[in-house]
Amino acid sequence: MRILIVEDEKKLCELIERALKAERYAVDAAPDGSAGWGLAESYDYDLIILDLMLPGLSGTELLRRIRRRNHQVPILILTAKDATEEKVQNFEAGADDYLTKPFAFAELLIRVKALLRRGSVSRASVLRVGDLEVDRLSQHVKRAGKRIELTPKEYALLEYLAANPGRVFSRTMIIEHVWDQSFEGLTNIVDVYVRHLRGKIDDPFPTKLIRTVRGVGYGLGENPDA
Amino acid sequence: MNTRSLSFRLVAWYAGLLTIVFVALGGLTLILLRHYLESALLDTQVRRARQIADTLMAAVARTGEAAVPGEIEDLYSPEANDRFIRIARADGTVIYVSGKPRDGSFEPAAVPAAPASRDPILVRKENLRTGSLLIGAVTYPAGDSSRYRVEVGVSTERTDQTVQQVLLLLAIALPIAVCVAVSGGFVLVRRALKPVDALSAKAAQITQLNPSERLPVSRTGDELERLSVALNQMITRLEEAIQSSKRFVADASHELRTPLTVLRGELEELAQDAQLREHTRESLGSMLEEVDRLSEVVESLLALSKLDAGEANAEWVRFDLAELVASTAGQISLLAEDKAIAVVCEAPQPVPVEGDRARMKQVVVNLLDNAIKYTPRGGRVLLRITRDGAQAVLEVVDNGVGIPAEALPHMFKRFFRVDNSRSRDQGGAGLGLSIVKSICAAHGAQVDVTSIPGEGSCFRVRQPLARGTSADVIADS
Repeated sequence: MRILIVEDEKKLCELIERALKAERYAVDAAPDGSAGWGLAESYDYDLIILDLMLPGLSGTELLRRIRRRNHQVPILILTAKDATEEKVQNFEAGADDYLTKPFAFAELLIRVKALLRRGSVSRASVLRVGDLEVDRLSQHVKRAGKRIELTPKEYALLEYLAANPGRVFSRTMIIEHVWDQSFEGLTNIVDVYVRHLRGKIDDPFPTKLIRTVRGVGYGLGENPDA
Repeated sequence: MNTRSLSFRLVAWYAGLLTIVFVALGGLTLILLRHYLESALLDTQVRRARQIADTLMAAVARTGEAAVPGEIEDLYSPEANDRFIRIARADGTVIYVSGKPRDGSFEPAAVPAAPASRDPILVRKENLRTGSLLIGAVTYPAGDSSRYRVEVGVSTERTDQTVQQVLLLLAIALPIAVCVAVSGGFVLVRRALKPVDALSAKAAQITQLNPSERLPVSRTGDELERLSVALNQMITRLEEAIQSSKRFVADASHELRTPLTVLRGELEELAQDAQLREHTRESLGSMLEEVDRLSEVVESLLALSKLDAGEANAEWVRFDLAELVASTAGQISLLAEDKAIAVVCEAPQPVPVEGDRARMKQVVVNLLDNAIKYTPRGGRVLLRITRDGAQAVLEVVDNGVGIPAEALPHMFKRFFRVDNSRSRDQGGAGLGLSIVKSICAAHGAQVDVTSIPGEGSCFRVRQPLARGTSADVIADS
């Protein structure tokens, strides 16, 4: 899998490159619009990550050019603006996904994965992490064969964590996915729910599945890279 | 009618001045008319007196004084003509006085004697009980050293009548004239001020959301055209200010968010390294927490700037505030349960409002979160949604620590904290209530707070009900 990053912020570019390489992707980086266009023209990429504010050729213009040439390649937009209008415009111009800075890298990696397998992989109906089973159809949760009753919000939280085992999610990401944007800034609600969830799926068992990484957030199961 | 409106005041002034001018002119006319009529009458009396003197007094020498009354009666018959005639010697001895006139307008015997004077011609006005008398007197030298005075008078009744008729005419004509002038003035003023109504109606529509619109300019070359042109120039300057403020928000977003993304990314990468020592891991965690806090402040400030700049609310819908509050309370309930706080939601009826649902939800979340934060374990938070006339009222009442009176006026100011040490532990940058206030302002709503320290606080949001709801209120009650 080959990914192109067009991002003028050098440090951010390097960071994304490093994060993607750690996930075993081949990565090319371009520091401005024209260089990005040069690379996009010459190679077939599986995914393009595009910053909107670029020197030279603007991100929006580059997006249009790439779309004219290649209708298939998924494009993920990075932006520091979050005006809804602009978002709609860019989706119309052919963007597949949209990430607003500052974003968590875990979020970026999840979006990248989702875009790369879009349409090809069906979502597994049962998620397994260790001896924990989350059935997405019936919304039943079992650990070591024992049925565990969860409230709808607890279930939503657990399913979100279990869908990406080992990955650590920030409280903001969890809020956005399990609640909605109105709850942003109310990150302590995540702590309370995680504590309740722990009480149900971890406390009765010897091995603990929910992991806290201070300052980063929560994850389910061991980090696969560690 | 609005008595403070410019058109009303202009017309009222106009009518007042016009009435004063008309009354003054009418009064002056009456005075001059009376003066003119009376002096004309006096002239006539003097002429007649001279005539009598000429024809009669010349004969006195021949026929003697005794013949005078008969002569006068024959020649002038003063009673029949309602005239007063009196002839006296210089020493005041009356040799003739006419009888009571036919119309009885005066009593000849009651007319006082003419004042002593050396002037050969004397005019005067005698005010008697029964009315006034205009008298012309001529002193006539009768050959020898003796002299006679001939007085001829007439009642002012006729002139008084004439003056009264003119007065009556004026009393009828003047109000009519004022009415005609005032209604004409009103029409003119209304027509002249009509563009002002158009201007103010249009100006009321222009907000931060549509700053590119302009006021209508009437090409009349008058003051109103100058006013609308000047106002349009002002709106242009405001529009530029709004644009530059929006540009600032966009630029600041980029400049602040990008380094924060890098910082967060680098730290996250490090923090997840399993080989770290415990101490390093803790430090990194602490740094990440600070980055989070910084991001939160940046996001809140940007949200506030955007609300200030009046960024268009794309998702303006009609929704039930009662339902929104109830569902939000449900989502947040675990936070309250965690502190054993009872959250009670009182919403007896649907309360439809219009606005950006997500933003209004943030108002509810912020207020509720605040209430839970500052209420001790085992406390109580009451959410009440009611209608008050054409307004929706949301109250968030807690029985927590309360707010000191001196802090109340500052509660919605940016970065304000009641108590530095305590609220910092509770997290947040002191921007939550500012955001609440800005969102409310964008929805035409007001938010205020009342509190008794030690007993609790009450935050109250008043938002206009959705259009067309007022009728339901009556139906419901």
